[in-house]
Amino acid sequence: MKNRLKVERAEHNLSQAELADRIGVSRQTINSIETGRYVPSAILALKLARVFNKAVEHIFTLEETD
Amino acid sequence: MKTKWLFPNRFWLIGWLVFVPSTILGLAAMYADFKIGWLTAHWLSESITITSGNSITHLMDNQDLTDEVAAIGIIAGLLLIAFSREKVEDEMIGQLRLEALQWSVYANYIILAIAILTVYDDAFFNVMIYNMFTVLLVFIIRFRWLIYRNNHILLAL
Repeated sequence: MKNRLKVERAEHNLSQAELADRIGVSRQTINSIETGRYVPSAILALKLARVFNKAVEHIFTLEETD
Repeated sequence: MKTKWLFPNRFWLIGWLVFVPSTILGLAAMYADFKIGWLTAHWLSESITITSGNSITHLMDNQDLTDEVAAIGIIAGLLLIAFSREKVEDEMIGQLRLEALQWSVYANYIILAIAILTVYDDAFFNVMIYNMFTVLLVFIIRFRWLIYRNNHILLAL
């Protein structure tokens, strides 16, 4: 699964720690999602989408291998 | 995220404070025959009668509870260390926890299988004693390692 989390974060001028705080996870988790090492649950994906006021599909997209 | 079956974060420290003295007590009881006097349970003591030929000997087998206390302490301490909430307990930590738990169960039984094939008699009894605690011990080491590695990758980026 690909994601545009880093781009969205830059557009909203949020640091990893600030974003982590807003949705109640650790900074490491945000970092792991951005680098593709961790795939978030539907709940976490929805929370992230809500922070950026975008649809989940806008931030997370399936890859060929998924 | 809601996480079930975990202790509050501060219990991690309590776990260590129970585990370390219990381990020292357990090792002392096992290898140096160390006993705490007031832990002798007289109400559990049995009298043994040994008959050999014409002589009859009466012995009191005092039930010493030092090793019981040590073992329970080690188990309680390890459980608290293993299953206390992280400062930020989120779903990724939960996943690392599960992965570490599965890994430690595999590792534990592989080691036990090797011990079954290579260690016999009295020595195997020692294996069984250690094996009571190794699942939790291996889990704690593996879980800490996964978290350390996760943070380390973060710093390297």
